[in-house]
Amino acid sequence: MDYSEYKKTYQKISFYDQIRNNKIKSWILMIIIVGIIVALMYIIAQVYNPALTFVFLIIGIVFSLLYVWIGYYFSDKIALASVKAYEANDKKYNHLNNLVDGLSLAAGLQKPKVYIMPSQELNAFATGRNPENGVVCVTEGLLDKLNDKELEGVIAHELTHIRNLDIRFVTLAIVLVGLIAIISEVFLRSLFFSNSDDKDNKNILFLIIGIAIAILAPILANLVQLAISRKREYMADAGAVQLTRDNTGLINALKKISKYYETNEKTIANKTVSSMFISSPFSGKSLSNLFSTHPSTESRIKALEAM
Amino acid sequence: MDGGIDMFWWIWLIIIIVAAIIVLVIYYYNKIVVLSNRIDNAFSQIDVQLKKRNDLIPNLVNTVKGYAKHEKGIFEELAKARAEMTSAKDLKGKFKASDHLSNALRSVFAVAENYPVLKANENFSQLQQELSDIESKIAYTRQFFNDSILVYNNTVTLIPGMWFAKLFGRGQKDYLQTSQAERQNVKVEF
Repeated sequence: MDYSEYKKTYQKISFYDQIRNNKIKSWILMIIIVGIIVALMYIIAQVYNPALTFVFLIIGIVFSLLYVWIGYYFSDKIALASVKAYEANDKKYNHLNNLVDGLSLAAGLQKPKVYIMPSQELNAFATGRNPENGVVCVTEGLLDKLNDKELEGVIAHELTHIRNLDIRFVTLAIVLVGLIAIISEVFLRSLFFSNSDDKDNKNILFLIIGIAIAILAPILANLVQLAISRKREYMADAGAVQLTRDNTGLINALKKISKYYETNEKTIANKTVSSMFISSPFSGKSLSNLFSTHPSTESRIKALEAM
Repeated sequence: MDGGIDMFWWIWLIIIIVAAIIVLVIYYYNKIVVLSNRIDNAFSQIDVQLKKRNDLIPNLVNTVKGYAKHEKGIFEELAKARAEMTSAKDLKGKFKASDHLSNALRSVFAVAENYPVLKANENFSQLQQELSDIESKIAYTRQFFNDSILVYNNTVTLIPGMWFAKLFGRGQKDYLQTSQAERQNVKVEF
């Protein structure tokens, strides 16, 4: 498309809104979850020894902060290790690195590290808590099967995720939800081993807590769903077109990728990584669109063709 | 005491308005500076790529001369374009020279098609790929430069930014003209 067409289309979309949204939502998410953790720790303290409430709260908060800090700061290394990715340092990846470099220049971003995932599947993901620590990972299969234009479309899509701070938000959501699951689990298991002397008092509280956890869990699961909202995928596709000034690369890439998954198995990937894949690694047919982490490939291609 | 506060409510209003204006002035001043710096940085990124391309050319010339030294035409064109690049002073001149150099390189690789032994040379094919990638990067850096200019121009021409821009004496900036070839597609293949 020429420059005047570009100006017409992209003057309306503001990626700055998306970035600001993600920053605000990240904070809101953290405050809500910290509130839930404090409440949980308080309830647990009442069960064991109300006099030690303060101690429980301090321990709970310190542990939570440590867990979140480690999970958040090392989220990229964890994600890469879970898929056995290796850095694309070899000379034969010069061209790939040049492609990533070129698109980073177009985006005004620092060039992210480039990793390769040893898999014949066609997929790619981005990770890293901010653009300065960005990582883009592509599968060996993707490098084999896509041409330059298609590869650029995929890379541009991932770069947009990094720039929009999508990854930070989703990672935080997953880590925080995981933390609550751990606390609940530890607490429930510990109750089984408590002695039965003062069981009367504990029984009632146990019931209440059981109900509370049962109510919390689906709400938290929904929070994670909201975090991995499909709007992010559409915005990432739009961002890719803005960078490459062309929608055919990404369209053809999506077509090739979905064609591949028609006949090949999807290996279930680590939950932390799955939301950032360009193509959802979970089989799409059985999941309704409301609950899947990605919009369907057909609707994405339709949206792209309209650009 | 109640009478005192009620009587001077309008003083508070004035103070609030003045404070708001000061905040806005600072906000827009900083915004314009940030956007202007981004443009300067974008321009220096273009320069980086132009230099990288220049630095690879002697290697290319030596490799090709080893197999096709009778093709004097392409070497002359290349030398002329390189001279143009070094002598170009202003923005417009630089990019005219850059386009000439792109064309000269295109000719070299077109001629190389007739020399299969040259094409098989590993050094040559690596150079070809590297130069092609740099041409892409030059196009992308120019794209980012123009994008930065768009954002800056929007800020200084829309309300209320334009009032502050006038206050600071800032005007719109010019876009880079792109060559016909680049308007078609960003990826430049040799």
